[in-house]
Amino acid sequence: MNKVSRKFLTVDILLILGMILPILTAIVITVLFSPPTDGVEITGALIFFTIPMPIQDFPITEAQINSALVMISIFCLCLYMTHGLKENPELKRQHIAEMIVEKAEALVKDNMGDHFSGFAPFIASILALSAFSSLLSLFGLFPPTSDLNIVAGWAILVFALITYYKLKCGPLNYAKSFADPPALAPLNVISEVATPVSMALRHYGNVLSGTVIGVLIATALQGLSHLALGWAPGFLADIPLFQVGLPAVLSIYFDVFSGLLQAYIFAMLTMLYVSGAFNVDLYLKLRAEKKKKKENKRNKQYNENKVLEEK
Amino acid sequence: MQTSEIISVNIWQIVVSLLNLLILFLIIKKFLFKPVSNVIRSRGEKVEAQYAEAERALSSAKESERELTEKLNIAHVTADEIVKEATAQGERRKDNIVGEAKAEADAIIRQARITAELEKKKAQEEIKTQIVEVSSALAEKLIEREMKVEDHHRLIDSFISEMEEVNDDR
Repeated sequence: MNKVSRKFLTVDILLILGMILPILTAIVITVLFSPPTDGVEITGALIFFTIPMPIQDFPITEAQINSALVMISIFCLCLYMTHGLKENPELKRQHIAEMIVEKAEALVKDNMGDHFSGFAPFIASILALSAFSSLLSLFGLFPPTSDLNIVAGWAILVFALITYYKLKCGPLNYAKSFADPPALAPLNVISEVATPVSMALRHYGNVLSGTVIGVLIATALQGLSHLALGWAPGFLADIPLFQVGLPAVLSIYFDVFSGLLQAYIFAMLTMLYVSGAFNVDLYLKLRAEKKKKKENKRNKQYNENKVLEEK
Repeated sequence: MQTSEIISVNIWQIVVSLLNLLILFLIIKKFLFKPVSNVIRSRGEKVEAQYAEAERALSSAKESERELTEKLNIAHVTADEIVKEATAQGERRKDNIVGEAKAEADAIIRQARITAELEKKKAQEEIKTQIVEVSSALAEKLIEREMKVEDHHRLIDSFISEMEEVNDDR
């Protein structure tokens, strides 16, 4: 018993380390490699090195590294929560894991209907990746969601899903859906393309704007303190008088609230767009027709064979 | 160290991030949703099985209760029958015994009567023979000597008293 529990404990500790270490690694990397700034500069992600690729070189940036580390963290979190699952739950984490799963399934069911029940893990992963990526900024790290490329990748995946579900009712119906009022066909195409663009830009812009406003306000407060204490001699002039409380409050809004809200919005929009793209009634009707046709064909063939046999 | 532009589009980064989301989807599906829903499902099945078991046990208990009640009723009826039969049998046996006793008593009485009759007859026979003997003895005495009238009367009286004695002996 003791041996088993010790083994269990060891695995637990390893998994917790697996959650924390990636974040620590990201902090260490940031501390080691970020160039010294006076905090006023607003730049994109650091480029560590560049891999030459066709079409365009592939720069390995802070955003890529951080999002990979976040994924490792989430992976370890999943393993930790499902470690020691039992039919009669003993651990608190099992209740949390069950709650997450059930809530995600209920959310997907409410917003998308029964046909999309398989989407729960996808929505959960969007929420987790987006929320944890945005929350990285709490540690002073570069949040991957403030890099357009990262969010654009997600939006393009969602767009692919939308198109896939629209094509499920047949290419002809898909083409027809653009010409709803035939005169507005070009606008419909534009709005179709605008979906992923708006999703990506909304998420990216919100997170980035948080950073920008944070930097602006920090700079303004620095100026203000300098103005207030600039006349003092020696080190007294450098006391960050106004920089003490306000940035923390703003950080709660821009990093925590805005990050979580954007994750939720992105997930909601994904659910709405994907379920809206799929015309269940039409799909079922088409499938029934297809089935009927097939059956008719089979019956016809069967009858023909019968006739041939009789001959 | 270089930094990228704030707004920079790079196809490879987009592709990698898209793949990252897919990979995370698979991770979450395989390592979070699958085990958790398996556990939930198996627990649901267990609960379902336990409910079914309880239902079954309850119905079987009811069934056996019904059976036992039936059996008890039958037992009551049987007991009543047994008691009734036993009573009837006892009554019959009593009648039999009484009848037998009566018959036996009758037989004994009859036997006694017959015996008494026989005794009576025997006594009569005896009296007869005694009378004969007495009369023959009287005749002998008469023959031996002459008798007076008084003697005669005395003789007869004595004879009769003798007779009475004989009767009293009986």
